[in-house]
Amino acid sequence: MKADEVLIAHHDVLRGLLGQLRETTDGQLDRRRHLRAEFLREVEVHTQIEDEIFYPAVSEVSPLLSVAHAEHRQIDDQLATVMRTPVDDPEFLVEVRMLEATLRHHAAEEEAEMFPQAHTLGEDRLEELGQQLQDRQAELARSGAMRWMVRLKHTVLRLV
Amino acid sequence: MSVRSLLERATAAVERWELLDAPGYQVEHGISLTFLLTGRWARPLQDALHGVWLGHPLHPALVAVPIGAWSTALVLDGLDAAGRGGPGVGQAARMGVRVGVVGAAAAAATGLTDWQHTHDAARRVGMVHAALNGAALGLYGWSLADRSRGRATRARVSAATGYLLTVASGHLGGTLAHRLGIGGDHAVRTAEPRTFTAVAEQADLTEGVPHPVDVDGVPVVLVAEDGAVHAVAGSCPHLGGPLGEGWLHRGELVCPWHGSRFDLATGEPAQGPSTASLPCFDVRTRDGRVEVRRRVPRRTATALTTAEEASR
Repeated sequence: MKADEVLIAHHDVLRGLLGQLRETTDGQLDRRRHLRAEFLREVEVHTQIEDEIFYPAVSEVSPLLSVAHAEHRQIDDQLATVMRTPVDDPEFLVEVRMLEATLRHHAAEEEAEMFPQAHTLGEDRLEELGQQLQDRQAELARSGAMRWMVRLKHTVLRLV
Repeated sequence: MSVRSLLERATAAVERWELLDAPGYQVEHGISLTFLLTGRWARPLQDALHGVWLGHPLHPALVAVPIGAWSTALVLDGLDAAGRGGPGVGQAARMGVRVGVVGAAAAAATGLTDWQHTHDAARRVGMVHAALNGAALGLYGWSLADRSRGRATRARVSAATGYLLTVASGHLGGTLAHRLGIGGDHAVRTAEPRTFTAVAEQADLTEGVPHPVDVDGVPVVLVAEDGAVHAVAGSCPHLGGPLGEGWLHRGELVCPWHGSRFDLATGEPAQGPSTASLPCFDVRTRDGRVEVRRRVPRRTATALTTAEEASR
């Protein structure tokens, strides 16, 4: 898989999780907690593989890196709001929709603008990056340090 | 070689210094985490430091405190060293240094808060600006400690060195504000259109979804909500982010880049980093078409008109 295909597939996972979260009802509080925790973990992996592998690789061919970083920051800030809003709060889904809008904008911008720019790196290079992204993604999914970090973040954001 | 071209070469080198980018993002993550740990206070705290309540960035206003206090201290130190200040001049210099240290700490908090949301060249210049200021603050702190230990000469030398760094850093601060436009108003503020101009079919608007249009080359965003149509400028005053690609949250328009939020009726920022209001347009509907006219803000109406008339 090419790098952009790997990232689009992961965008679909993230969009899917927030779509499911948005569709939950007030009676599905455990499902809300579960989907929220899963989104936190997936978005952490996504940010990390983009920051470590993809963004440095496309820095020469895309002027959008700063904007992409700013949008990651906005997703992070809004996720913190969703984390500290109780799942039974009447405003919970309002904050989830805001998070979904932030994520959808960021993903759509990458897919429509940054990924086509990345193609100027050549198909071979994109295949190579795609492999690196997949390897790192799998590694992070198994990583104990990552699990520990996500759990810590989950706890801290729930507390503050 | 002229002073200007030397300074321009120096700042241009900083602007292109890409090695700063990776550590820059680490520093930003640190700032971000610090704010997130304040929980629900993260937003109000950052807005207060940006100067959302003030209508322009708070940072340049606070910067006057250390520069003023340390300039005074420099003169008093000079008089003291020359033995011409009379009794109490050393004490006064020490007070000046102390006031400057407190002011510099406050300026640093506002500066770092603004810096988080800068890009590329401005981000790099901001890092060097902050590093020089940090070094100056350290020297002044050391100078204060020496003053209480009675090491007057060394205290004056470290303060004077700190002053030089502050001047160099001030130049970079000027570059950030006046050349790179950080803290400036990036909204497009023309007085046009002065008469109602059709910009869209009402049927094309979707309730609650921002609809970007173009009025004589100027981006405008239409938002249909609760039976009314609002029209505001399409470029974020903060750094020119594309508000037409934004979305609504609790009835406010969100900038997709840094998350500034704007009241649709007044254009006022409900959340930073933008400290300036969005230009607004009057809206009416005629035969199913949405028409807009620039709503000239009362307080600048005269200035705008005078400048415009003069240019014709």
